[in-house]
Amino acid sequence: MNAIILSAIWAVIMMLGSFMVKRKGNFRHIAAFGLLVLFVANIADTYGYSLFNFNNHGFLQFTRFGYLFNSIAIFSSLIYVLITGKEISRYGNHTAEYFALIFFVMCGVSMLAFYNNLLTLFLGIEIMTIPLYILTGSDKRNMKSNEAALKYFLMGSFSTGIMLMGIVFSYGGTGTFSLDVSRAGIPNLYNHVASFLEIVGLLLLLVSLAFKVSAAPFHFWTPDVYDGAPSVFTSFMATIVKAAGFIAFIKLCLVRMTATSAAIDWKMIFAIIIIATLLVGNITAVFQQSVKRMLAYSSIAQAGFMLFSLFSVNDFAKEGILLYSAAYSLATIGIFAVLVKMKDYTFEGYNGLAKKQPLLAATNTVFLLSLAGIPLTAGFFAKYYMLAAVVKTGSYLWLVIVAVLFAAVSVYYYFRVIQAMYFKDGNAETEAITPSFKAGLLLVAALIILIGVYPGIILNWLYF
Amino acid sequence: MSTSEILFWFLSVLALFSAVMVLVSKNPVHSVLWLIVVFFSISGHYLLLNAQFLAIVNIIVYAGAIMVLFLFVIMLMNLNRESEPQKNVWMKLFGVISGGLLLTIFVSAFRSSADIFDKTAQLNDGDVGLIKNLGKVLFDQYAFPFEISSVLFLSAMVGAVVIGKKE
Repeated sequence: MNAIILSAIWAVIMMLGSFMVKRKGNFRHIAAFGLLVLFVANIADTYGYSLFNFNNHGFLQFTRFGYLFNSIAIFSSLIYVLITGKEISRYGNHTAEYFALIFFVMCGVSMLAFYNNLLTLFLGIEIMTIPLYILTGSDKRNMKSNEAALKYFLMGSFSTGIMLMGIVFSYGGTGTFSLDVSRAGIPNLYNHVASFLEIVGLLLLLVSLAFKVSAAPFHFWTPDVYDGAPSVFTSFMATIVKAAGFIAFIKLCLVRMTATSAAIDWKMIFAIIIIATLLVGNITAVFQQSVKRMLAYSSIAQAGFMLFSLFSVNDFAKEGILLYSAAYSLATIGIFAVLVKMKDYTFEGYNGLAKKQPLLAATNTVFLLSLAGIPLTAGFFAKYYMLAAVVKTGSYLWLVIVAVLFAAVSVYYYFRVIQAMYFKDGNAETEAITPSFKAGLLLVAALIILIGVYPGIILNWLYF
Repeated sequence: MSTSEILFWFLSVLALFSAVMVLVSKNPVHSVLWLIVVFFSISGHYLLLNAQFLAIVNIIVYAGAIMVLFLFVIMLMNLNRESEPQKNVWMKLFGVISGGLLLTIFVSAFRSSADIFDKTAQLNDGDVGLIKNLGKVLFDQYAFPFEISSVLFLSAMVGAVVIGKKE
């Protein structure tokens, strides 16, 4: 509750700041402080110190899982603002408003971590995505940014429509918007489990949520939008927002899809989506010439791995998705932070970076290794938990083998960047690098290695 | 016949007549104007059912906003007989079939469901649609989603200003 309300309040503070604070550079300090306040408030909330107590009539459900994810999301955005916050002021005169929109997104993210009702799911998704349409189009002079924003807006609106249709069908089948349903007394249950209408509704919800997390075959917007949006905001969209989409999705799976699994084979549906996502993401990423576009496809591929948690809804999957969202968010924020500083976004633009900026190249290597899932980085344990969750379900073992093969493919395109940085001669041009930026990158790299060596540092919080 | 019954029959005949007129009038602007009459007579029905809130919202949203939108589109497209696209025979046929199916479903739903038969309307004494009850539900049980949707609108507003403002 703290995080939901405080993030909305801080968004208003940022809006007021836009005309009360004169120095443009101060906005990111205010935002970073706000995120710190959110982080502390969320942790306090976890241990029962809630600032706002009112009966929400079952619209929200506060679980340790939700709290921990929310802490991870807020912490990642804090890191994001600290490292790349300066770049946000590059686009137009509305820096404070952009930060306000980021806080609105955080409000949506917090709602998705705690929702227990399809109504709050819808509101959370909308609060999260509407500011993103604006952030995508924030580079107003750039045609690509405009195109991306319009595309994202139109496609996103359609997927919202599909989600609403799904919610309505589900309401028709169960008579309630709440996630917890007692199906006793509902006539004409399909296979004696669930109403046919509810299953149709859940399928439509699956389509729209798969769109939001960019799972194939609903991924077509992702490369264009991630490529067209200003890199700073791509970094935010590809990490925190995507992870929040997965948290919303896994909650729906844990409650509704587990309950109706006797009526429809969700595992088969998810297996098809996973294979399609891994195939599209990894194979297309191999052929990209621009690092930014490669990262867009790699984010689809990473979504394929995160989908394993929806496939095998068990305790391992819950732990895994938390670890994955932390590992993936930190690494991707780091990679984009380096990308933003590059003058040339193609692979050639990275040629010889190791000689000019050894620290940037070294930390970037750590981030890329983490995304590829090399041991001793956070990405390894994240992928390990995902696959272990599938093994634990005892079926579909071939899915694990396919996933490992695709992870091997992903190593190719991540290592192309490393190869360009270290083994190719070139004159990689970067913008001015400040010592504090370097320190931030070092911190993120250290965190990734720390989680990679000792994943319990995150997961222990789930239990005490 | 009591007053409300007279009103009911009057509004029903008005609604049906103007709905037919929407379909048969040649001028699209006339169609839209007849549609406004339909909405007003339906709002009258809501009033008869003691649902004032629904009646007002129906007028504001449909007769007000959506009809203006319709008029705008029609006047913008500047329809006349020459530019009217030729309608396919199959399209007309499928239109009739799907419309007829919808009608069948409505009629059969009303005829077959015993629990709504004979009590389709709560004339005079119904209180479900009163604003008082709506407010009680909205500010008690649904308080959280109601309040949080203000955040949604605020973010959309900020976004619109950011996108629309000159650099």
